[in-house]
Amino acid sequence: MKLIIGYLYHDLMNIYGDIGNIIALQKRAEWRGIEAEVKYISIGDSLKTGEVDIFFFGGGQDLSQELVAKDLTKGKGKVIKSEVEKGVPLLSICGGYQLLGDYYQPFDKPKLKGVGLFPAYTNASNDRMIGNIVIQTSVISRQSSDLVGFENHSGKTKLKKGAKPLGQVLKGFGNNGEDRTEGCIYKNAVGCYIHGSLLPKNPRLTDWLLQKALEKKYKKDVVLEPLNNEIELKAHNKAISKFG
Amino acid sequence: MGIKFFLSILLGKLILFTTNVLNIGGGSAAPGYYALKLYPELVSKLAKQIPKAIVITGTNGKTTTSKMLGHFISSQGLKVLRNTTGSNLERGIASALISNVNLFNLKLNFDTAIWETDEAAFNSVAPKLSPDIIVFLNVFRDQLDRYGEVDSIVSKWCETAKKLKKDTKIILNGDDAGLLSLEACFKGKIQTFGVSRFKIKGEKNLTTSAKKLDFEAKNIEVYGLEGTKFEVEDKTGKWGVSLSIPGIYHVYDFMASFAVTQTLKLAPSAIINSFKTFAPAFGRVEKFKLPTGKEAYIFLIKNPVGATQVFQTIKPELKKEDRLLIALNDNFADGTDVSWIWDANFEIFQNSSRAESRNYQIFCSGTRAEELALRLKYSGVNLHSITTKNSIEDALKDSQTGLNGRLFILPTYTALLSLQKILVNQGIKERYWKQ
Repeated sequence: MKLIIGYLYHDLMNIYGDIGNIIALQKRAEWRGIEAEVKYISIGDSLKTGEVDIFFFGGGQDLSQELVAKDLTKGKGKVIKSEVEKGVPLLSICGGYQLLGDYYQPFDKPKLKGVGLFPAYTNASNDRMIGNIVIQTSVISRQSSDLVGFENHSGKTKLKKGAKPLGQVLKGFGNNGEDRTEGCIYKNAVGCYIHGSLLPKNPRLTDWLLQKALEKKYKKDVVLEPLNNEIELKAHNKAISKFG
Repeated sequence: MGIKFFLSILLGKLILFTTNVLNIGGGSAAPGYYALKLYPELVSKLAKQIPKAIVITGTNGKTTTSKMLGHFISSQGLKVLRNTTGSNLERGIASALISNVNLFNLKLNFDTAIWETDEAAFNSVAPKLSPDIIVFLNVFRDQLDRYGEVDSIVSKWCETAKKLKKDTKIILNGDDAGLLSLEACFKGKIQTFGVSRFKIKGEKNLTTSAKKLDFEAKNIEVYGLEGTKFEVEDKTGKWGVSLSIPGIYHVYDFMASFAVTQTLKLAPSAIINSFKTFAPAFGRVEKFKLPTGKEAYIFLIKNPVGATQVFQTIKPELKKEDRLLIALNDNFADGTDVSWIWDANFEIFQNSSRAESRNYQIFCSGTRAEELALRLKYSGVNLHSITTKNSIEDALKDSQTGLNGRLFILPTYTALLSLQKILVNQGIKERYWKQ
């Protein structure tokens, strides 16, 4: 089996160690004998239907976000949206998450139009929401589980009616620091504010993305071969214990 | 002479005296901190007494560059004051001034001041120091939890540069594209330094073909841990340099310091000659002997680019009997966000698949040792070669048990401070603030 990981705007949206998510997807596929190739897709590159099996879209600085928002309107945004509609999994963090909502309104600049994949919108705020974050989620497995990482954003994201949050904030700020929701999930697409990196120390989410990608691509139920997660869980638990 | 001004200095000196007598630390922040509360204009008032002021900022290399420059200038018989031990906020500068001002006539007897300032503090502190020369070393992602984003750091520097007196001289790293936008922010003279071929690129790629550098390191030859040889060239001539500290990043520090000495019109050959007696800054590249007689090296790591440069410097030197001790803390001074380790190129240490016997042992330590072990696992390091111990003291002990080669210690900032304490207590090293 083989998976193509589409790394969206790797050269502009790669702040805060988000590359760790790509590394985690690639390694956990390879350790199971699944070939994993990273395809870099940036400004001006074309994106065709069926070309990518998992999308990753990281965070970036304001200036990068402007360039990327513009590029997304030139066709790429539509392709990403229709792929997600068909069940292709996607993980987006911070800036990437914001641009996949309805819009991102920076402080002193014109509104950036989003892709409209997540029923959510984001406005810049005066507060910088920085620190470790723990959320509880029940959408990636039957039992609820914790996701842990580090958030650093000033945008406040509000979910629209009917939108499904990725989870509930246990510690930290989450989407907006007000309603205790964090992230958003739509079909197999996840958006959130968790850096850290997120996937290496939250292997359950990594495996969920891999499983969804394989099921979509090979049109059958897939049970992933279990891996030894001892080191992953130690790092996960240490991050949670930082809250005392 | 205001009474508050005098009292603030007196208070600072008392705190300094107390911390020295009680031996409770370097006393590099507290005296300035409290004195500034009493007299907020302390820094500008004292600093302007010193005829020449040089301010150095950037993500990596501030401490080494300041130390090197201080060494160069004092080798020419000039009296230099600088804020030492990496205390680069306003309070650290205030402490250095307080510690050196004469309490009876409130005079500072120095020819030149070298101020290393934190990237964020630069904007508020630099104007108070009325600098003659400002050095911008580089801008990389570092502790974004504290500074915000890289672009916003540079745009704030730009605002500060706009307000500078026109006769200020700016020296900047011409290989770092992120800094070149500063040229539009300043009407006075800007000079650039950099290296040829072994360039360390910044966060942004140079889009236009690189400009001619005013001070350039050419014909670089790398001699592992022994150091680097190169030629330094400017419009007036060319000189051979033998740098006895390893790492291309130290060539940059040298070039920045050299450029300043040329702006100060010091004799190039005398400057280069004086390097022979230079000792690197605390924890930047330190070599010492363990009680067993084995050699150990300390290289500070604190952000992705700096750490990757350290990895590239030591990797070709690692033999299978050598060991690594990497210590990752997430205290405030280290940055509470450990995401950066995923941007650092730990893949350099991955083991070759066929020669397991050639793997060197890696000890992970510090408050986030587990995250470090995870990073190593995902960079392809064999799990059998990883040992995890949060306590730096335990990790240091374990890493010496059965050690046949050398020990390379790579700590983040507060891990370096703990390590230093342990080494001092064991009688292996002197206190750093006495250096």
